[in-house]
Amino acid sequence: MTGFLNSTAAARLRRFDLPILATLFLLLAWAISIQRATDFIIFCVFVLAYDLLYGHMGRLSFGHMLYLGTGAYAAALTAEHVSANPFVALLAALLAGGVVGLILSPITVRTTGACFALINLALNQVGYFLVLVALARWTGGEDGLAVTFSKVGPFDVGDKVMMFALALACLVGVVWLMRRLTDSPFGILLRSIKQNESRVRFLGYDVVRAKTLAFVLSTSLSAFAGGLSILNYAYVTPSFIDTGRNVEVIFASLIGGAGSVYGAVAGGVAYMLISNFLPNYVQRWEMFLGFALLLLIFKFRAGIWGSLVARFGPRRAEGT
Amino acid sequence: MISVVAYGLTVGAILYIISIGLSLTFGTMRIVNFAHALIYTMGAYVLFTMLRVTGGNFVLAAIVGVAAAVPLAWAIERFVIRRLYGQSIDYAIIGTYAVLLIGVDATKWIWGATPLPLSDPIGKYVNVLGVDLPVYRLVVIALAVLIFAGLELFFRRTVVGKIVVAGLEDKDAVRSLGIRVDSYFSLVFILGSCLAALGGILYAPITTIHPYMGTHVLLLSFAVVLVGGLGSMRGTLVASFALGMVMAVTGRVWGPAAEAMVFAVMAVVLVLKPIEV
Repeated sequence: MTGFLNSTAAARLRRFDLPILATLFLLLAWAISIQRATDFIIFCVFVLAYDLLYGHMGRLSFGHMLYLGTGAYAAALTAEHVSANPFVALLAALLAGGVVGLILSPITVRTTGACFALINLALNQVGYFLVLVALARWTGGEDGLAVTFSKVGPFDVGDKVMMFALALACLVGVVWLMRRLTDSPFGILLRSIKQNESRVRFLGYDVVRAKTLAFVLSTSLSAFAGGLSILNYAYVTPSFIDTGRNVEVIFASLIGGAGSVYGAVAGGVAYMLISNFLPNYVQRWEMFLGFALLLLIFKFRAGIWGSLVARFGPRRAEGT
Repeated sequence: MISVVAYGLTVGAILYIISIGLSLTFGTMRIVNFAHALIYTMGAYVLFTMLRVTGGNFVLAAIVGVAAAVPLAWAIERFVIRRLYGQSIDYAIIGTYAVLLIGVDATKWIWGATPLPLSDPIGKYVNVLGVDLPVYRLVVIALAVLIFAGLELFFRRTVVGKIVVAGLEDKDAVRSLGIRVDSYFSLVFILGSCLAALGGILYAPITTIHPYMGTHVLLLSFAVVLVGGLGSMRGTLVASFALGMVMAVTGRVWGPAAEAMVFAVMAVVLVLKPIEV
């Protein structure tokens, strides 16, 4: 089946990727209920943000819940204290993610491999502590915080269909952005950093700047996803910043196929399908997740998208 | 004051016993081993069960607990880590994390999720400068010092230790001498795991035993290893006791902040002293 799609056919298909994506999600909403589909979409945004660092730049973060949680709490607190307008909250989430990323980048960006993973993990733990204990007066500690959003004109985030439409529009926007980004010289630079950082430096590129930019982009988008989920749930709890949940996004990134925009979306949907429907049948959820992860890293490294491309795509297809 | 110092030293001692294995595993195999936390937890649980079986003989139960780490560590090394040698470190991180997930769930399955309390096995106090200190904690500190001395001797005086140290420096050069470096590294892995189990056993009477105790300590242990320098044995010793003190002093001022403070100190150290890995 290799070469089932030749490269012109693949290119033609890629031109219509955003409508295809939107249609697939509409079908998904029809199949599994619109609320769940909104959940799926928001998680996909998070996976996309995560995969910019892991898949494209080769930095495995074990503490990305920190940035998701930053956005979630920024959105909730903005709605509580500043303005009940959902779009203001969303903007606040995006900015908060960017600011936190910018502040932490001097610590994180110059490390690689194990250090990068562990430092993010440690910072995530600090963030969890801040939310749960130190700032509990504002964040509501373990109980969390319920928020209400006002209507903007006819738009109401409390309405399931409108929230779905907003989330889908955001996802399409983020996919478009990520595709532009990863196809650009900047994207090539990131992939080169993944391959061999010193060589890129020898070529005269400002590696630190590129890495900082990618890191801040990833944290901002993660926070954006966090803000979106607050719009969706109207409730924030410390589970949004829980260190233990990092494995979800890693799993999604791996199962979809790291280093590809479509792979990230596929992985997000795949993980959400598994986590939404399998626990009904699987008694030991963590154990199942562990074995599934082992299987992924031993036998299924290309992920869903990678396997699809290898099977049907043009012969020399690489990356997306 | 004295009790703060004593608490800091105890925590430092425990951290040292756990972290040294982590640091050695990283130095030799270039692998960040999340499964270390699993062995730590298992050590404590085996201790708990063996205390029931032996009728409260702590030393015997502890020996069984440490011995139980050997087959477990061997299996993890043989079936997960060895298959990931020389590949991207990310896979090793994810793989060992998966092992941790499986193991934690297995502990919940076998022993239940409720925390199990354990009493101080010695139960005596000694008066130091007007403050009553549990003898058990002093024993723990003494054990950590003994282990440090033992490891120094092992790595400096024995052939096996010297091979490992040389392998830390330059693996390929040692291998070209006709030495099977990898099997020595496996040995170090098992040794480090036994120490992790010992750490869990020693810390169990001070806190409670629960399935996530390892995950908790592992983060602190990572901080120690990062501050001390990956693969550096003396750095690990210094960092353990320094961070143990940080924890004790912060805990005195404001209890819940103790762990967060460790990570804050780690972040500062890493900004001042970047590490290339």
